[in-house]
Parts: sequence; C-alpha cells; structure tokens
Amino acid sequence: MREQQLKDILRHMPAGVATLQGPELRYGFVNEAMQEVLGASVTEGFPITECPGTLPADLLEVMQEVYRRGQPYVAKAYRLALSSEGDEPGRPRYFDIALEPVREGGGEEVTGLLLFAVDVTGQEEARQRTHELAIETRRLDTRLRVLTETVPQITFTVDAKGNYEYVSPQWYYFTGQPPTADLNAMWPLLIHPDDRLRILYQTDAARTAGIGWSYEYRLRRHDGQYRWVLSRALPELHAPDKPVFWHGALTEVHDQRELAEALRRGEAELRFLADSIPELIWTATAEGFVDYYNQYSEEYSGLLSKDLGPTGWINLLHPSEQANAARRWVHSIATGESYEGLFRMRRHDERFRWHIIRARQLTDARGLRWFGACTDVDDQHRLREVLQTQYDELARTNRDLDTFVYTASHDLKQPLFNLRGLFDELRRSASFDDPQESQILTMVDEALRQLDLTLQDLAATVQDQRGLSAPTESLDLRNVADEVLLGLRAQVLESQAEIELDFEAAPTLTYGRANLRSVLHNLLSNALKFSHPGRPPHIKVQSNLSDTNQPILTVHDNGLGMELPDMPTPVFQPFTRQHPHVAGAGVGIYLVQRIITSRGGHLEVTSTVGQGTAFSVYWFDA
Amino acid sequence: MIHIIYISRAVRPLSDQDLQLLLDQCRRDNAQHNVTGVLFYSHGNIAQLIEGEAEVLEPLFEKISRDGRHSNVMKLVDKPINIRSFSEWSMAFHPLEPAGFEQLQGFLLPNRVPPVPSSLTIADATLIDLVRLAVFGADAAATSVLPQA
Ligand SMILES: Cc1cc2nc3c(=O)[nH]c(=O)nc-3n(C[C@H](O)[C@H](O)[C@H](O)COP(=O)(O)O)c2cc1C
Repeated sequence: MREQQLKDILRHMPAGVATLQGPELRYGFVNEAMQEVLGASVTEGFPITECPGTLPADLLEVMQEVYRRGQPYVAKAYRLALSSEGDEPGRPRYFDIALEPVREGGGEEVTGLLLFAVDVTGQEEARQRTHELAIETRRLDTRLRVLTETVPQITFTVDAKGNYEYVSPQWYYFTGQPPTADLNAMWPLLIHPDDRLRILYQTDAARTAGIGWSYEYRLRRHDGQYRWVLSRALPELHAPDKPVFWHGALTEVHDQRELAEALRRGEAELRFLADSIPELIWTATAEGFVDYYNQYSEEYSGLLSKDLGPTGWINLLHPSEQANAARRWVHSIATGESYEGLFRMRRHDERFRWHIIRARQLTDARGLRWFGACTDVDDQHRLREVLQTQYDELARTNRDLDTFVYTASHDLKQPLFNLRGLFDELRRSASFDDPQESQILTMVDEALRQLDLTLQDLAATVQDQRGLSAPTESLDLRNVADEVLLGLRAQVLESQAEIELDFEAAPTLTYGRANLRSVLHNLLSNALKFSHPGRPPHIKVQSNLSDTNQPILTVHDNGLGMELPDMPTPVFQPFTRQHPHVAGAGVGIYLVQRIITSRGGHLEVTSTVGQGTAFSVYWFDA
Repeated sequence: MIHIIYISRAVRPLSDQDLQLLLDQCRRDNAQHNVTGVLFYSHGNIAQLIEGEAEVLEPLFEKISRDGRHSNVMKLVDKPINIRSFSEWSMAFHPLEPAGFEQLQGFLLPNRVPPVPSSLTIADATLIDLVRLAVFGADAAATSVLPQA
C-alpha cells in the first residue's frame, strides 16, 4: 500500500525519475516526466544503450562510469535535444541531471542507478539573456562614458540628499580643481557670490519637490573668470514620486548671454534714441499692427500707446484723409512696398499739422518688421503756400505790366500817326534854307518810321507771350473770383475785409481768362487798397444782365471814394493817382478800361468821397 | 458695449467638419447671448471680431482664449463701442468641399465679406483689413472692408 502510494507520487512528479538496474543499466521504473525526456517510449528491462532515447553517448558513458565507481554525479544545465511534436528539431532544453548509485539492501555493491532530470530550461534561458544583457550594458556603458567625457558639457549626477555622485572630467578641466577636490564642498564655493544663494535654494526646492531644474548662474573658471552656465537636470524615478538621482548637464552660455545682453542694451539704446527724437516714430509687426510708438508720439497726440492701439495712428489723421491713408497702408502690407504720404495729423490741442509719413519694411532680430516716422513739415508746407501766393501775385503783376505795355503801345499809335501827319504837312507848307534841311527831314522821317516799328514789335511780343489775345472761353465767374481772392488773401486778412460774391443772376461769362482775371484783380485790389481807415472794407461783387441781356459786373465798396470829373464816362489815364498816400502803380483802372474797351465794352464808375465807389463793367456794348 | 479683435493659430488644421461644428455651436450660442461679429479662418490662421455687452464678452473671450483648438491668442483691440457693426455672427473660410457650404447660415466666402458700416472707425476697419490679410494672405488685399474712395 505504501509502495503503491509512493509509486503514484513518483509517477506524477514534475521531475523525471528512472531506475536503471544491473551493469547493463536496464530500465526499471520510468515516470511520466522521464518518459517525455527520453522521447521514444522505453520499455522495462531493456538496456539503456539499446534504447537511449535522447540521451547522448557521452552521458551514457558517464552513467557507466558512475555505476563502476559508485560516486554520484550531477550534470548542471545539460542540453538535451528533445524531439518536438513536428519533425524539426525543437528548441534546446536544459536539465539538471543527477545520477545516484543504488546499493541494494545496504550492501557495498552497486546494483543500479537512480536517474533524476529536472527541467531548468527557463532558468538557463534567463541566465543566458542576463549574460547578453550584461554584455550589451557594458557596451552602452562604455559608449555613454565616451560620450559623457567628450561632449563639451559637464555632466553630473546628484543623489537624493544632494551629494554629487558623479561629475564628468570636464568639470575638473573647467574649474581647474585637482581630481582629489571635494566636489560637495567646492562646487558651491565656485558659484558667483551673487548667484550662490539663489542656486542653492532653487536646487533644494527642486529636489524636495522631486522635479527637474533649469537655471543659469556664473561659475568660476580655472582662470578666475566667472562664466555664465546653464544647469539642467532631470530626476530619475525608481518608484513613482520617489526620485533617487538627478542627472544633469552644465552648458556654458556665456557668449549667448553676452550677445543677448548686448542686443537688449542695443534695443534699450535705440528706444532711448527714438524716445528723445522730436518726431513721431513707430514700429509695426509684419502684419501691419503697430506695436511701438515713441514717447514723442504720445506727447504729440496726447494719447497713450495703449490707447493709440495697433492702427490708432489713423485716428490722428484728418478725417478726409483717413480712408486713403488706410488703403495705402493695407496695400503696403500686402505688397511690401514702402509707404509714403503727406497728411495732416491732429496734435493734442486739436490743431492739424502737415506731416510726411514714411514707413519701410526691414528685417531685425525679431524677423520682418515695419519702421515708420512722421516728419512735421507744417512750417515748410505753409511757407510754400505763402510763396505760391506771392508768386501768383508777381505773375499777375507781370501780366498786368505786359498788358499795360501792350495797350500803351496801341495808344501811342494815334499820337504817332498825328505826328507824322503834322510833319508831312510841315514839309509841304514850310520851306527851309538850311542846306542840311533834306538830311534832317530824312532823319525825322526815319525816326518816325522806327518808332512805329518799335511800337508794333512791342505789341506783337507781349501779345504772343501773354496770350492776351487768347480766344475767349466760357468762364465760371465764382471760380475765377475765388482764384483771384486766393492771391489777395493776405490783404483780405490784414484788412479784415468782408467780401460778398453774388454771381447767381449771371454765373458765367465768355471772355479771355487772363483778361477777366486782370479786371477782377485790379478792381478788388483797388477796393481793398482804398479802404476807409475808420471801417473794415465791405466789398460786394455782383453779376447781372442788362435790359438788353448783356452781362454786367459791379464791384461796390465802402472805401474812401473819389472826386470824379464832370464827364459821364471819365477817361482814366495812366499814372494818375487819386490818393497819393496809398501805394500802387496808378495804372490799374487805366488797364481795366483798356481791356474792356478793346473787347468791345465800357467801364462806368460812381463814387462819393468818404462813402465808397462802385465800378460797373459793361462787358459788351450792345 | 465693447468689441474685441484677436488673432491666433489653430493647434492643428481644422477640417471642414471641425469648422462646420464650430460654426453651428458659435451661431447658436452667440445668437443666444447677443454676440455678433465675424471669424476668419485659413490654413490654421484665425482672426475674430466679437461685439456685445462687456459682461458677456469678457468671460467669452476668456473661454475662447483657453480653447485647446488654438493657441498664441493675441488680443489686438478691446474697447467700448456705441453701436454694432455686424448684424449677426458669421464665419469666412475656404471649405475644401465648397458644395453645401454656400447655403449654410452664417457662412461667407472670404472674398464676400461685405464692407463695414461707417459706424466703425476707419482705424478699426483698417484693423479688420489687416487681420484678413494676415489670415488669407495677399489675395485678400483685392477686396477691402474699407469704404471706397
Ligand atoms: C477660434 C475659436 C473661436 C470661438 N468663438 C466662439 C464664439 O464666438 N462664441 C462661442 O460661444 N464660442 C466660441 N468658441 C468656442 C468656445 O471656446 C467654447 O468651446 C464653446 O463656447 C463651448 O463652451 P462650453 O463648453 O463652456 O459650453 C470658439 C472657439 C474657437 C477655437
């Protein structure tokens, strides 16, 4: 019963068990596990050499040896090529095989062998893997070491308590410390005193929190110079939230930092410069959003940069110019074309001043940007306007003089004609005794002819140059009057004259443009010139149609007035001056009259001394 | 009332479906909260103008700027206005599959953005033109929301 039980246990044991009997080593009991090891089903009573299964020859020899010597033997991790289900050779399996001599009945003589086979394939494979891993690790380790010791960075490892566990040789090169230096004592001493506390504190804080760090500080180099370094480290976690080591690297960033610092200083200097220039200066992003206005922009506009906003400069422009300026800015941003324009910009006191706004695209450290400036050209602009007015006036005076020369040359023709008649008469009726008589007569004749030619040439030249004989055109009276008044603006402002224009009844006139301008200019400037000292001039210009539907222009003033000769239509002579104390060439009214009569009209005047004068221009006599 | 204009970058390109989803949700929520304005989208570039009561817009902008679908949110303007310049909330983008979008409520093709009313200052209209340019590129310069000369 006990034996049966034992046999059952042995049969089902996970290790192979077999008994071999006698010197031929015949199979006795073979349990299931051993049967699997041996492969081919073995039969009790057969010698092992005849039916060795998977057991190789050398093992068989060892068995015989053990039997002979009576000494047990164990083969560790012995490789057996078990045949698998299929035909291919299965994966190798490993067994610890124990051979135990059996002595029957406690005698000296060996009568058999006990064979144990324990499958250790799993362990063996693990061992082999471990071995391979160890080799690979050693290889990686070597590589890591080479890398660690050749990269320019200093690498280090700190343990959880904050002690330096490892530092690469570069640390010693950099600091010039001997290899025997006490890392933990020396390192903090090499940090710049101004950075030390911050660094020790931040490192401690990171270690306590179990997180990495990244900070910059100055570390003393072997030559005593402090150099900026960047220290970065990450924790190595063995269990979650439980870092054991921090591995990190120290990179010298001194030059980058100096450069960045120089850039910052440069930018600060530029800003300072921009802020001290009495000109509106601004920069904008590539998208066209203004991101900086200089201090003067704020002073000029009376607004803060943040209130000006990314397109706020447009708000400063004159309302009539905003849309145009904006469209051009959008166009510049879309195309990259430079921006330039002349605009009025509102100052903090609500006054508009002319500015040239210019902006150009440039690339700086931050990439593509726009740089703009608004230059105040208000004074130049106004000066130019004044100059233009003065120029216009000069041109007009010039024209008037030409007209004068022209008309004068015309007017001198009649007396010349009379002179020639008289002279011819004289020659016919009088006789001269002088022998040189005929010579003198010829000379006078010649002189008269010359004078006539000169007068003709004069008239022709002026006529050509000034287009006084230019064809007539349909003219808008208000238009021309406005032009003329623009030229007289200074006088109007100075005298505080009130000028009333009323062209409603006959708004247009078909006339020579230069002629109309001359007439209006002379009548208006006269009215301004001969104003009453006791009151500002009030001038009324009116156009009408006569009973016969002919155009009339009247210029009515409240000035000094004048004495008129007792003639219905006074003839104005050049260089006669009604008011010697008032400046003027005295040719004005004479000219006007000449122009009007030459085009087939006439001039009338009524005046009361001390009250005013009214000139009426009848452009065309019916 | 205030209006806010910002630009941002999508974290990853938005598909037609993403855009339509955003359009639907925003139109519904904005109509409910009386928020009007316009959103421009192209190739990951985003710009938006919203107008409404400050009590509504400020938290809405907070929420939008924290939305994980975009980042680099840069606020350009945030200021009081007297009246609205947009009658509703709409979105302008180029769908990959335009069919079906044309009829969608609140959808606009980028070149069909109407000129803004004169209630908007020229400076603000310019800003809208600039953000359109930033989102859609130089093509957008051909059409402008600025009043014509
Ligand atoms: C570019 C962009 C623009 C958005 N605009 C709006 C908007 O105008 N109105 C709105 O309600 N939500 C807008 N959202 C969505 C919000 O961020 C948020 O997802 C939505 O309001 C849902 O919020 P809830 O989950 O609190 O309901 C926008 C999101 C993105 C990415």
